[in-house]
Amino acid sequence: MKVGVVGLGNVLMRDDAAGPYVVRRLEAAYEFPEGVELLDLGTPGLDLHPFLEGLDFLILLDTVRSDGKPGEIRTYGRDEILKHPPQPRVSPHDPGVKEALLALEFAGGGPRHVLLIGVLPGEVGQGIGLSPAVQAAVPAIEAAVLRALHEHGIESAPRRPSAAPDIWWERDGTEPVPELR
Amino acid sequence: MSKRITIDPVTRIEGHLRVDCEVDGGRVTKAWASGQMWRGIEVILQGRDPRDAWLFTQRFCGVCTTVHAIASVRAVENAVGIEVPLNAQYIRNLILAAHALHDHIVHFYHLSALDWVDVVSALSADPAKTEKLAESLSPWPRNNRMELKAVQDKLKGFVEAGQLGIFANGYWGHPAMKLPPEVNLLAVSHYLQALDYQRKANQVVTILGSKTPNIQNLAVGGVANAINLDNEATLNMNRLYTIKSLLDEMVAFVQQVYVPDVCAIGALYADWLGYGAGVTNYLAVPDMPLDSAGTQFDLPGGTIMGGDLAGCKPITSFQDDYFRKNVTENITHAWYDGDWTRHPYEEETVPKYGEFDPDGKYTWVKAPRFEGQPMQVGPLAQVLVGYATGHEPTKKWLTAAVDLASTVAGSPIPLKALHSTLGRHLARAVRTAVICDLAQKHWDLLVKNIASGDTDIYVKPEFKGEQMGFGFHEAPRGTLSHWVVIKDGKIKNYQAVVPTTWNAGPRDDKGQPGPYEASLVGNPVADPERPLEMLRTIHSFDPCLACAIHTLDVEGNEISRVRAL
Repeated sequence: MKVGVVGLGNVLMRDDAAGPYVVRRLEAAYEFPEGVELLDLGTPGLDLHPFLEGLDFLILLDTVRSDGKPGEIRTYGRDEILKHPPQPRVSPHDPGVKEALLALEFAGGGPRHVLLIGVLPGEVGQGIGLSPAVQAAVPAIEAAVLRALHEHGIESAPRRPSAAPDIWWERDGTEPVPELR
Repeated sequence: MSKRITIDPVTRIEGHLRVDCEVDGGRVTKAWASGQMWRGIEVILQGRDPRDAWLFTQRFCGVCTTVHAIASVRAVENAVGIEVPLNAQYIRNLILAAHALHDHIVHFYHLSALDWVDVVSALSADPAKTEKLAESLSPWPRNNRMELKAVQDKLKGFVEAGQLGIFANGYWGHPAMKLPPEVNLLAVSHYLQALDYQRKANQVVTILGSKTPNIQNLAVGGVANAINLDNEATLNMNRLYTIKSLLDEMVAFVQQVYVPDVCAIGALYADWLGYGAGVTNYLAVPDMPLDSAGTQFDLPGGTIMGGDLAGCKPITSFQDDYFRKNVTENITHAWYDGDWTRHPYEEETVPKYGEFDPDGKYTWVKAPRFEGQPMQVGPLAQVLVGYATGHEPTKKWLTAAVDLASTVAGSPIPLKALHSTLGRHLARAVRTAVICDLAQKHWDLLVKNIASGDTDIYVKPEFKGEQMGFGFHEAPRGTLSHWVVIKDGKIKNYQAVVPTTWNAGPRDDKGQPGPYEASLVGNPVADPERPLEMLRTIHSFDPCLACAIHTLDVEGNEISRVRAL
């Protein structure tokens, strides 16, 4: 079974980084069986579909717009994501989750199971670092991912020793970058 | 009486392009382009290590990732005055070529073809007739009636199930849709095939860049691709041959599918060759460097003013003074504090949001100018500069494309018809074919250079005192330049002047409109509620503004707001 855990969002736009942030924490803290791929894809727009092709199960991590408070988590299945048709596009960069799933449905080869785990953002202005409400929601998002994998028969194990997550965008700019030789 | 049309996908995401037009007698008489999100991400870079800048700049935009990474390392290298090893140039060139192939294929088939192709009309096509028509355009083996019939059946299944899926948002049956059903069916089948080639281009970038969409292999001073032809873990012969075969497959698709499709669709909409010229000043910078210093290139650069090809002034090196001295940005009509025209090194980014005021400030996009003039950037600029400077691959592919389009149209298409909405599509296809040739050439150059025993990939940069530099890259959407001021090894100022800023910028202090604004004037609009013709012209530039945020709206049912008042 091929599984993709995909973080979407712009790491330079505060809470929009939630998806990539969780992906990097998970890959540092857990070992996953073969066939499970964790991807920080940023904001790929229409370029999303090549990463979804051939997957059986797709878990998307993203910020979502919904009624509620920042940090609350919402989950959606494939049919809910596709309930409303995509809108006319002005540019290739508008979020392309629906388009990617529909294009794969037409072409064949898309994931049968899709779960979107979304968090309501507090701040999505330019800047680095999650707002306190979304930061506090991170463990719950991680648990939701592990639970969803478990429900599909995929067990993850804590990595020992655990690695430091590569949240490079939160480096404060004074630490040196690793030297190349 | 004039009407105002606004295309404003504001209900969907923050950060996008809004277009306003005044329409009188079925024609656009005035237009405004407005970027609805502040692109001041440069501020995040202040105080950081310049060797880190490219990691951040490639997150400006989720689609144009590699282009900002490449422009950034070139800017810092220019500031510290280092020349990168040849292998690094070739590897970067292959990445940018693969990225451009990918970007142009996606742009045509997945963003803009459906402005011209009526998917629903493809249902009434005769697959046998479609095969015959395709044979007259191209030897592509997948244009056979069985495959075409299969695509049509699949489409039929979707429609009979009461849903068009990915095609649900098109302007089907619009009076401006004019292609015969067979051409529509051919285009739909190529839409599907293009998905495969998008993936192949991605694979090339992944092999060289470790990851897509955000590559990992760059460094200020070179690349991080260790080269050892016999080592499993490095860039080796096996990986190089994989790249070659992927490139060869993409080249076949571009030459036999993309270029003929654009020529045929363009010819069948020949009346559109008269719309969308707008600003006929063009700017392109040279790219695909052939030496370490960046003084010789496989893609030419230069400026053309007022459509005068004979007066093309060349831009010739990574140190080019003509380019460095003549770029400015103006904020008279942009939501920044003050009213100035400044060189990028001198700019400040102080946002001051106001209401949309068509006579005052109305956008977050600044107005870049070259020698005080608005400039169109992108494939049309690239191809016209190439043609004007006698660039052989450009001349070869432009001649072939114009000949094929003229044959389909049944009358010769003059070169001046390129100054148009469709001209931008034709030029993009020509540029893609040129890049195909050059990607194969640079693969050869890389392999030969490695075979000669050169495995250098990196030169260490040294920082001291104040250092200023600029780096440019002729990206798929046009001229991209990054400008950096470094003080004691830390970034003091950083500005990115991006292609869409050149094209989507507002009026300046002299009231000169930007390319989007100028190109919309004169466009026909048959149905103000469904302004397909406006989208055709805007899409032809391949806009890039809306990528900064990715909050999904799953529950909302709002559609893009198109208001006709």
